[in-house]
Amino acid sequence: MLREDFFIQSNVRRILVRSHIDYSELTFGTVRGVVYLQGRLKILGAYSHGASIEDEELGARTLRSLELKIRGIPGVVDIKFQLVNWKKEKGQWTPTEKKE
Amino acid sequence: MDTDGKKGVSRSKEGQLKLYRKILTEIEKEIQIHPNYADLRNQMGLLLMAVGDFEGAESHFSEALSLNPRYREAALNLGFLRIEMRRDREAEAFFLSELKRHPKDGLLHHALGLLYLQMDRSEEASLRIRKAIGCHPYYRDYYEKKGIWRKGKVQLGERAKKVLQEAHRDYPYAQFHNFVGLYLAKQGRSSQAIQELKWASRLRPDEFLFHSNLGMVYYYHGSYAKAIREYEQALKINPRYGMGYANLSYVYGLMKRTREALRYMEKAVRMNPRYADLHYNLALLYSDRRQYPKAISELKKALRINPNYLFARINLGILYEEEKKWREARREYRKILQVTPDNEDVRRRLERIS
Repeated sequence: MLREDFFIQSNVRRILVRSHIDYSELTFGTVRGVVYLQGRLKILGAYSHGASIEDEELGARTLRSLELKIRGIPGVVDIKFQLVNWKKEKGQWTPTEKKE
Repeated sequence: MDTDGKKGVSRSKEGQLKLYRKILTEIEKEIQIHPNYADLRNQMGLLLMAVGDFEGAESHFSEALSLNPRYREAALNLGFLRIEMRRDREAEAFFLSELKRHPKDGLLHHALGLLYLQMDRSEEASLRIRKAIGCHPYYRDYYEKKGIWRKGKVQLGERAKKVLQEAHRDYPYAQFHNFVGLYLAKQGRSSQAIQELKWASRLRPDEFLFHSNLGMVYYYHGSYAKAIREYEQALKINPRYGMGYANLSYVYGLMKRTREALRYMEKAVRMNPRYADLHYNLALLYSDRRQYPKAISELKKALRINPNYLFARINLGILYEEEKKWREARREYRKILQVTPDNEDVRRRLERIS
């Protein structure tokens, strides 16, 4: 049976663009079914870089949705986020940077 | 704004105008944050033009050009806007000055042809039309379809004037619909985006980028056959558009047609050998087909271009393991852990082969 990392990678690319995310500062890769997302998450339409309550909620909601969609791709066994401005602790997404 | 229901934004219903005004407000906000982005100024110019504020549009196109004097799209938008505003002398001076820099640009000759026709300077119009045809075969087809080029001769009369009287709008309005289409696509409004992008490519069927953008939206929308058709059309117009081959590869990848995906990705890499991402994707395709030496070679190329390409290095380590090259695998895993010491997967892999 063929492995499907390229299929997964193509799906992740498609999901990212449909997810209200400015993915210009994100890189992603697929390694034997494990999806890696690395870099800075920027949400389209959020002007205060995660500083306001609304932006925090929007960011967390976007990440939860992104995670669900990627896990839904056939062949995905895990997803690893390595974001510089968001972290997941006890199942909750929180921004790690505050606006100056 | 003209509302004769035939051209560009003039077809817009109130709902569309409302949408354009809403986007305009969003771009205004963006400009407040990034006042020196020439792209935003150009987009603002297009939006203002679409809602009928020509003076405002002119001011933003000019600002875009002052921020980036080599911004061709903004320059052409400004030139065509001046034809629309019947500022014929300024438009003429502008296009003639552009032609000094780009004497073989068919679009500039075409623009002057339209302008001279508007100014009742038929001989000069005829000369410019001939020059446009000489620059690019697209214009021969275009004028033939309009009945202006027949049996090797330019036919200019009242009919030609009537046919071409609004043609100067095609370029800026095509740019406008393309921009709106991309904007809507980013918001996930694929169906509306497709309508806008179709409009753009109807106005400028020779513009490969519009077909490519339309292909991209079909791809994200899940209409893969239509995406392939548009990407192929883009490549027919511009066979040197290397990313078009990569885009085709991604679509075939989603369809699990790996043979085609591989063929197009190989071509994309040949045309863009400096793109680490393309080498990485090609490596995935080889690796999926268990062609490990080829995959390793592509990952090495990706890492030569971008030594910080983490996923490429993880893939490389795993492929060395597959090839039972334990020393090389350990070397790659150690390099990864130097950069990301908390990568437990890689640590476990390293421990397993140490």
